[in-house]
Amino acid sequence: MTESYRGRCWRFGDDLASDELIPPQHVFEYDPKILRRHLLAEVRPELSQQAQPGDMIVAGRNFAAGSNHSHPFLAMREMGLGLICASLSRGPFRLAVFMGIPLLVAGSEVVAALGDGDSLEVDFAAGRIADETTGQEHRVEPLSPFLLDIVSQGGGLAYARSLVEAGEIAHAES
Amino acid sequence: MAMTIAQRILARASGRDSVEPGEVIWATPDLVTTPEVSFPTYVKRLREHGIERFALPRRVVVAIDHEVPVHSKQGAERNRETRRLAAETGVGHLFDGEGITHPLVVERGLVRPGSFAAGADTHTPSLGGVGALAVPFGFELTMILATGRIWVKVPETVRVEISGRLAPGVTARDLVLAVMGRVDAELANYRVVEFGGPGLAHLSVPERMTLCGLCIDMGAKSAVAEVDRHCLDFLAEVGIEDAEPLAAEPGCAYAARIEIDAGSLSPQVSVPPSPTHVRTVEALADTEIQHAYIGSCASGTLAELSAAADLLEGRQVHPGVQLLVIPATRRIYQQAMEQGVLARLTRAGATISPPTCGPCFGGLAQLAPDEARISTSTRNDPGRMGARDARIYLGSALTVAASALAGRIADPRALLLERSEP
Repeated sequence: MTESYRGRCWRFGDDLASDELIPPQHVFEYDPKILRRHLLAEVRPELSQQAQPGDMIVAGRNFAAGSNHSHPFLAMREMGLGLICASLSRGPFRLAVFMGIPLLVAGSEVVAALGDGDSLEVDFAAGRIADETTGQEHRVEPLSPFLLDIVSQGGGLAYARSLVEAGEIAHAES
Repeated sequence: MAMTIAQRILARASGRDSVEPGEVIWATPDLVTTPEVSFPTYVKRLREHGIERFALPRRVVVAIDHEVPVHSKQGAERNRETRRLAAETGVGHLFDGEGITHPLVVERGLVRPGSFAAGADTHTPSLGGVGALAVPFGFELTMILATGRIWVKVPETVRVEISGRLAPGVTARDLVLAVMGRVDAELANYRVVEFGGPGLAHLSVPERMTLCGLCIDMGAKSAVAEVDRHCLDFLAEVGIEDAEPLAAEPGCAYAARIEIDAGSLSPQVSVPPSPTHVRTVEALADTEIQHAYIGSCASGTLAELSAAADLLEGRQVHPGVQLLVIPATRRIYQQAMEQGVLARLTRAGATISPPTCGPCFGGLAQLAPDEARISTSTRNDPGRMGARDARIYLGSALTVAASALAGRIADPRALLLERSEP
């Protein structure tokens, strides 16, 4: 189930660029098993070894800014990581949904209250973040049912297949 | 309700009379572009999900542009796969080493005012220079290839009203960097930037493409320029003779309205770690550089190359600087060769490479730790061109050329002034 995650908080600051999540020299690499080794490798080298499925990347404002690359999200999906951030622009937001990464856009105040290493339980459908380390519970805007549906199906490709199978494709050819 | 240019385009692409910001709609792109970096992977992933056919293959353009000429074994295999899969899927066009996708589809007349274009590449919005709404979808292109459609949240628009005319030595790059100083990521996010106003008439279509292409780097969804007489003349030259002017409907609502006097601007430079960190060129006068690069989808235009060649004429690149110049397309390369632009650049000490995205993302001419480059490319995130602690500065071709001569970041206006004096 992708609706709720439980795991460790990996805390990062504002403006964590896409090119820092995975250096762009790996832009030709699409194998998630290889990409996971490069995730934040230069920023937080221990993460790729130590992170467990259900852990959360928790970042500040403007997460994954810059290059509109799917690579960081392929790696996160392979590792079973969820995402909480203060804000992120349209490109990474769409990519996260399309790659089947459950996420919450929580705002700076909530993110500031989450500490690195905290134990989190996150309900994406309800928009609830329980910090078991501090005992605090935070309420944020949940992922919309339409988008949660795409995430729950495993991402946009599985969703596209269901559209193709249902015959819901464009036909007009120029 | 009156609509912005983006709303007008999305209404048509979704078969609706009108759309409102915030609505989620299904839209059908008129043009779908993907470079070789992504294309074989997209086809492979679609096939893994049991999807063999493209819904609208004739609208798809595949371009081998990121690694040209190929210089790795993997790249060679990727290109072979790209050629094979392009034939198998029946795409409309395969451009094989003919240039960077965005200027290429414009010079080949494949994009029109009012088109809704979807691209895999981040800098797809440069097609906004001819009045198209061009949006980067990255990996989501797979859904478009499979279904011909994509979900879109109708964006609000930020209007940038340009007045005046750029002074000598000041370029469209400096204009867009000035816009970045006024529109931060929070304001740009999920919004389209619409360029218009009396100053637009003084900007060429390639300059408008520079404006639109670089708006993505301030966090915008896309950007689009009004289509005027000047744009229609340009389009007629690339074979589109029936296009019409395009503007927002009077009285439409904007999220914000920014006014920029182009005549008041001076050369600007983006400093690490992101393009939105903008300084005046004067403030960086003591910054040493070892590398200089003129090229990319944003700046590898004939006009920028010519302007750089004019500035470098009779002068020599600083001995401690490597200057690399890459025309954005084969057609620009050929024109620059025929007009003697490449000869003049080479005489001044530049190295010329064939059309490719190469250096912009660290695929070519990488930087060593602690080196610095001034570049006309699109982004300067740490690690983008090689070593993570190499420093990347972004400016116009004129600023890059002046800096290549000085061995440090330099204001091109001083050199232009010298030249204009008898």
